[in-house]
Amino acid sequence: MDMKTITVGYGDVTKVQIGPGLPLVFLGGPCAIESRDHAFKMAEAIAEITQRVGIPWIYKSCYDKDCRSSPDSFHGLGMDEGLTILSDVRKEFGVPVVSDFSDPSWGPATGEVCDLVQIPAYLCRQTSILRAAALTGRPVHIKKGQFMSPWNMKNSVRKLESFGCHDIMLADRGTFLGYNMLVNDMTSFPIMARTGYPVCFDATHSIQMPTSMGDISGGQREFIPYLVRAAVACGINALFMETHDDPDNALSDANTVLDIKYLENVLRQAKIMHQARLDILAEFGEDKVHPNG
Amino acid sequence: MQDARNLRVKDVALPLDRCPVLAPTAFFKTALEAMGRSRLGIVCVVDAEGILRGIVTDGDIRRQLLKMQKPFSAFFGDDVIEHTIPHPTTVGPDVPLLDAVNLMEEKLVWDLPVVDAGGKLVGLLHLHPIVRLLVNQQDG
Repeated sequence: MDMKTITVGYGDVTKVQIGPGLPLVFLGGPCAIESRDHAFKMAEAIAEITQRVGIPWIYKSCYDKDCRSSPDSFHGLGMDEGLTILSDVRKEFGVPVVSDFSDPSWGPATGEVCDLVQIPAYLCRQTSILRAAALTGRPVHIKKGQFMSPWNMKNSVRKLESFGCHDIMLADRGTFLGYNMLVNDMTSFPIMARTGYPVCFDATHSIQMPTSMGDISGGQREFIPYLVRAAVACGINALFMETHDDPDNALSDANTVLDIKYLENVLRQAKIMHQARLDILAEFGEDKVHPNG
Repeated sequence: MQDARNLRVKDVALPLDRCPVLAPTAFFKTALEAMGRSRLGIVCVVDAEGILRGIVTDGDIRRQLLKMQKPFSAFFGDDVIEHTIPHPTTVGPDVPLLDAVNLMEEKLVWDLPVVDAGGKLVGLLHLHPIVRLLVNQQDG
C-alpha cells in the first residue's frame, strides 16, 4: 500500500510534512512542561540545533503526565497552564507543537492548541480516547502499546479512520520483554507502515526500563544512538526523542531523556542515515524480497 | 431432466449469497471463518464495485503456512487481499457447463468464480453440484 504524507501545522507555524521520500522529521522537547521559562529555554536551544542540522522539527512537551509510576511523581502543570505555554511557544518560534492527552475530555482543548495530538502507548486501543483524538481534526500520532504487536495496531488505525481521522502516524516505543524491560523489534516499522501511514521511532522511551527502580522507571540511554541508526535504516519517517538540559533533575523521565548536549550529534547521524536510505532506494528500488521466495 | 450437455455455467453455479465473498481489507481470520461456514474451500475477494480481485483457497492457505513463517496472530490480522491469488481462472455464466468442467480438470481445481464480461463476480461454479447433477442423470 502506498504511504500517505501527513501535514502538521496550522496557522502561521512552519508546516511540516511527514511521509515517504521526504526529509526525516524530528519530534522533540522536554518530556513534561516544567515551567514557562524552561519550556522557552528548551525551545530556543532545540530551534538552534535543528536549524544547524537542517531537520524539520515539531516541539513536543506534555502538560499532564498521567502514567507516572508513583503518586508522588511530577504530574505536570495541568491543561490550562500547560496549553497556554505550548501556544506561546508555537507563536514565538513558529514551530508546530505536539502533546499527548490521557483523558477524552481533554481532547478539544488539546486540539485547539496542538498541531499534532498524541495518544499515549498505554491508551493506544482505548476507543474513547481514539474518538476524542479524531474529533480534534488534527493529525494523530499514536504510539504502539508496549503490549501490542505491530500488526494489531491496524485495529487502532481503523478505529481512528472510523471516527473520520485519516492523518495518522504510528510510533514504536518498545515492546515488553518480560518485566521492567523493553526491546525494539525493527520489523515493526515496515509492518506498521503497511497501514498506509508514516511511522516514527520513539528512541528515548524505547530505552526505558519501565518502573525498574521501585517507584520510577530506569533507562539505558547509552543505547539511543544505536537504536536511532537502526530505526532510520529501517525506514522511519520521523524520529521522536525527549531531550533535557539537565536530565538528572528533569521532572519527568529523568533516566531516559537525552541530554541536549548530545542532540545535535544524534540528529546529524539520523539525517545522514536517512539520506543514505533514500539513496539506496533510488539506486536499488524498494525491497522486493517476497516471503514466498 | 435437462441433458448436462445443454446446460450452461449459470444453470448450476452457486448464487452469490451462497459464496463466501469478502472485501479486500477483511481480516484473513474472517476469510477462514467464512470458508468454514460455507463448507467451501474458497473465498472470493471483490472490491466495492463487486469486481473480482482474487481468491483464496484451502491449498493457498496450506502453501502460505509452509512458506511464511510468521505467527498465526500476524496471519489472522492481515488483510485478506495480501494472501489472495490475484488473477484466478474464471468462467463466464454463459459458457457451456461441460467446457467449464473440462477447464476444472485441466487446472486441477474444483471451484471456478463466475464473472460477467465486466469482471464482476456473479456466482461460483463448484464441482459437487455438477457431480450430483451428473450422477442423478446417470441414475435417471
